[in-house]
Amino acid sequence: MISRRRFLLLTMAGATAIATGKAFEFKDEDGELSKYEWGMVIDVDKCTECVKSRGGFGARPPCIEECSKANNVPPDDKYYYDLIRIYEVREREDAEPLYFPVMCQECEHPGCVQVCLTKASYKRKDGIVVVDLHRCIGCRYCMIACPYNARRFLFEDPKEKLKVVNPEAPVRKHGVVMKCEFCVWKIDREREEGKEPKPVCVEACPYNALTFGNLKDPNSEVSKILRTSKVITLRANLGTNPKVKYKL
Amino acid sequence: MGVEVPKIDFTKIEGRSKGYYVICLIWLIICVIGAYAYYLIWIHGDQLTGLNNQVPWGFGIAAVCYFIGASAGSLIVSALSGVFEKEEFKIFSRSAAFFAAAMIVAAMGAIFTDIGNPENSLNFLMHFNPTSIFSWNAFLYSSYFVVCVVYLLAQFEEKKFLTRCIAVFAVAWAVLVHSGTGGIIGFIYSNDFYHSPLTVPLFIISAIASGLGLLIPTYILTFKWTKREYDLDLFWTLTKIMGAMVIILLYCFIVEGFEKGYMPSSHEAFLRMITSPETPVPYVYWFGQIGLMLLALAIMLSPYRKTEKGIFVASLLVAIAVFCERYTLVVPGLSYPYEIFPGYEVVKPFHIVPYFPTWEEWAIVLGLLAGVYLAYCIGIKIFAILPEKAVKVEEVSKNE
Repeated sequence: MISRRRFLLLTMAGATAIATGKAFEFKDEDGELSKYEWGMVIDVDKCTECVKSRGGFGARPPCIEECSKANNVPPDDKYYYDLIRIYEVREREDAEPLYFPVMCQECEHPGCVQVCLTKASYKRKDGIVVVDLHRCIGCRYCMIACPYNARRFLFEDPKEKLKVVNPEAPVRKHGVVMKCEFCVWKIDREREEGKEPKPVCVEACPYNALTFGNLKDPNSEVSKILRTSKVITLRANLGTNPKVKYKL
Repeated sequence: MGVEVPKIDFTKIEGRSKGYYVICLIWLIICVIGAYAYYLIWIHGDQLTGLNNQVPWGFGIAAVCYFIGASAGSLIVSALSGVFEKEEFKIFSRSAAFFAAAMIVAAMGAIFTDIGNPENSLNFLMHFNPTSIFSWNAFLYSSYFVVCVVYLLAQFEEKKFLTRCIAVFAVAWAVLVHSGTGGIIGFIYSNDFYHSPLTVPLFIISAIASGLGLLIPTYILTFKWTKREYDLDLFWTLTKIMGAMVIILLYCFIVEGFEKGYMPSSHEAFLRMITSPETPVPYVYWFGQIGLMLLALAIMLSPYRKTEKGIFVASLLVAIAVFCERYTLVVPGLSYPYEIFPGYEVVKPFHIVPYFPTWEEWAIVLGLLAGVYLAYCIGIKIFAILPEKAVKVEEVSKNE
């Protein structure tokens, strides 16, 4: 039999080991992540050209198709789960339309993270706002707080509707919230492999309309565009400071 | 204490009549239907609700606000004697506190049945988020229940000073809890319909109105059916308080409406929301919220105001109107899409999404309400919370 003192000592040692181990693990990862601040610039003219060539409003360009496939997003006409939504925007009724793809804007001050009951939505050190599926209670408060309507709630079990499942991306069940996370699983893998990370939509775009990169690196393509071009931010007055910018 | 009041006898009800069992059975059946509806949602997901990705909050959240409101309102009625020294209302102090405790449980039940992933629901205890008002409320609601129970126990023990202290604390706590609930909606800056500091005080006022609106008919029926003697004047005083709350509410609606209509960016949306029949909102707003309140006020001013029927109907109307108010607080702001592209006239998709609650949502909310009344029916049988006589007690001044 193990004595009580010994049991307590072992428990304490175990707890300390776990705590320090966890602390080290987090510290290391955070240090690595804080070198990055991922951002995206979307060239609205190129998007407009692409969507027009596919028949205008209602088209599903490759960015959406590939995103849904890679991120295990079920196809659905009723609930529209796609993480990217394309808006047709005109200055006036007879004007030429512009097409804006809107996904999670990866805000610097995300309203969703602010209101999340359980910290299931949180911002990583590299600025990406992610949802921890195992912590999400499905209260949908984040969807209320999101100024861009960028979050989706799974009203039904997605597994029945998925034709192919990507094991690398999260496979969700009904009753949780999902959002665009800049394909965080892909970015992390490619970063570790030493490649230039790119989300699926950026790779899928035939028009090169989406530019993704590290905002902290002055030589990244995104930083260069932001230095030289005119970009707009959606609902900038709210102060959420999104890291997805639109080049007009 | 200079004034000593004759002791009020609190008794249990007999609860053996056929009528008592029939009433309990009706509540139980509604509860069971609600539980079955929830079971269906548990199995098949939230696709059984009328919600969608644009309107993710609906009936469930309106019910949360309503139950918490009714709870806070009941507690304030209960505390009338303890805090505001209205000794004639001491007869209600126990049962109203019991009602408040039952209502807060129903509110927590409404949250639990509304969330999509209840298996994870304990996470809010483990991962508290200090910037989330809803996260605070998880603690406020549970502590509020404890406060209600302790307050009730102090009353059972006839500890006068302690009761008084807890009553003051409980009222403060009720205001805090309800302000928090108002903040859940009022602080959402991304939604122009939601974002309003007025929501927080409005919540407390409607809480008192709905609490009285439910308590008055409940008491009238209870006293009638248990053949207790009661004084209509007491109810008339409560009805007058309720009427004052309704007037303040209507005033707040006017202020809120003018403010939303004043800003060019929201005035079109606001007008469309309250006039265009694309969604059920205009009916709920004009007939449910405003109409019923005006009707209740009309009854309160009519010659029938001091009759039992008049008081009964007016209270019930206010209780329903406040639920409609909660609905128009939650749903229209979501039905109307956000303006993500300011400055552009034409934006597609631009859907005004109507939200109709399904029978499952109705069943859950009514089931929770039936649960409160079932608890009340059982409560008055096993605890001595109802007064033997509900009449104004003559104050006997004994200056020591």
